[in-house]
Amino acid sequence: MTASVPGYDCTIDELMVVAFSRALLPDTRAFNGAVSFIPACAFMLARATHAPNLVWSAGSIGIDAAPKAIPESTLSDGIWQGATMLANSPFDFWAHAQGARYNTFSFRGAQIDRHGNVNNTVIGEYDAPKVRLAGGGGMADLSVMIPRIMLWSTTHTPRTFVRQVDFRSGFGYGDGGNDRESRGMRGGPVVCITNLCVFGFDQNTKHMKIDSLHPGVSFEDVSTATGFELTTPSAPLPVTPRPTSTELQLLRDVIDPHGARRREFS
Amino acid sequence: MISPLQPSLDTTNSANKVLSLSDAVAGIPDGAVIGLGGLSMNSAPMAVVREIIRQGKKDLTMVALVAGLPIDWLAAAGSISRVVTGLVSLEGFGLAQHFRRGVEGRKIIIEEYSEHLLICRLQAQAHGLPFVPTRAGLGTDVLRLHKDTGTVREEVDPATGEHYVACTRLPIDIALVHCHEADQAGNARVNPKLIWMDNELVNAAPHTIISTEAIVETDAFRAEPWRTTYPRFMTNTVVHAPFGALPTSMFPSYSHNSTFYERYVAASGDSKSFQTFFERYVVAPASWEEFLELNDLAKAGTAMGSGHKNK
Repeated sequence: MTASVPGYDCTIDELMVVAFSRALLPDTRAFNGAVSFIPACAFMLARATHAPNLVWSAGSIGIDAAPKAIPESTLSDGIWQGATMLANSPFDFWAHAQGARYNTFSFRGAQIDRHGNVNNTVIGEYDAPKVRLAGGGGMADLSVMIPRIMLWSTTHTPRTFVRQVDFRSGFGYGDGGNDRESRGMRGGPVVCITNLCVFGFDQNTKHMKIDSLHPGVSFEDVSTATGFELTTPSAPLPVTPRPTSTELQLLRDVIDPHGARRREFS
Repeated sequence: MISPLQPSLDTTNSANKVLSLSDAVAGIPDGAVIGLGGLSMNSAPMAVVREIIRQGKKDLTMVALVAGLPIDWLAAAGSISRVVTGLVSLEGFGLAQHFRRGVEGRKIIIEEYSEHLLICRLQAQAHGLPFVPTRAGLGTDVLRLHKDTGTVREEVDPATGEHYVACTRLPIDIALVHCHEADQAGNARVNPKLIWMDNELVNAAPHTIISTEAIVETDAFRAEPWRTTYPRFMTNTVVHAPFGALPTSMFPSYSHNSTFYERYVAASGDSKSFQTFFERYVVAPASWEEFLELNDLAKAGTAMGSGHKNK
């Protein structure tokens, strides 16, 4: 079981899905890759609430999919049930992606740094890794091509949130400032939703900053759990808003009745 | 100048390309560079991969864009020395532990790209072009890994000043892909249509081995020619392998088999017990049918949408 959120009548996976969903704009055109249960739930939730015309390509294959439940893989047939089109990967998906017809990309990783760069390749030196991870897959591609990047992590610790990633598998704001823009890439990370807080990014430095704290979490808690410095706030930080009973009911009973989202918490 | 009457060993035009699983795999030399079809838990040519392991092939290079179980099997069996890939994992079931240990212990060299960099390299190979451009990978450390070889390199378009990555040709010897139906001459199709990147491998490779759920008459292709995925001149060998992608999925015929993945991951924790498991349940069965039977796969794997076994 995942931890319950104090005073909110929901668990942390549910709060993260709802926060993710609310961060999705009505014009979202998104897709998902492997082990992306939280975004998949969020796309469906947003579509069922404030963003009815949101476009979601399930597993980057099933456009406008309407699965009866989120299955145990977010990259296999179960998730694209009810799709209006099955896209062919090289000819459809990659043209839609590189042409920026999609505008939203979500990814997570073993390490995320202060500028939203992500590592899912190796921990340690590349040639003598401490841990050989899965690899970036399409992360290096899509982080460059897609303007609106949404990050998430279910393991907010100093091991995950590091000052600098050991390997840049996915590009966020690079070295910060105008680094991304100067490389001709549009947009960048807009949000990073964790099990402790919601991060945004400073407009100028492109450094992560806390947008809201989850209930029961203090600035000090986040600061201790984060491997890079966070600016001490001058005023109390907002608390991540409470999910509505409609949102929770949709998520629990309609979208993800088998609790696939909890597969991201071990 | 080549005489038009010169006899040829080229089997491309052959009317009957059907071989047994063992004969088809016997033709794969040690050290070959193999393009492996499928993506993650979907559509991998597992029957062919298992036969490669059984025949003790060595020193193979696998080109696999996004892969998992087949690469881990080959790593566990000691069949591969190099993997050209963008990602190897068992998704929600965890890391591919034998692949991981192979790379960490430097028994397996990983030549690492991203998905679209590999697609572009395969397209350059297929089209016979020096490179295919993409914006993929700009600014990431993936490009840094290839500074010396220049297989993918950042360049600037002199006309527009835009940065792009030039992806050079990726030569492969043999493509292995699984499909739903093929005829004896090697026309083949995936139902309802190809969604993964297998076509990039087939187009890039001079030799393709197709494994197929069913062998059908050529008339089945003539009746619905718009559904053909690979024409016969792009394929060289046809292997009849029903349920040939299990334990990965073959949409829309069957889903991946969660139970096998769970058993495999559970066994992977301890190397001694893993060897016993791997030998008994993967390598030892004398035929593909016996492998399916022993692991209770054909029955469990036939239902679509069975992937709902969540925590």
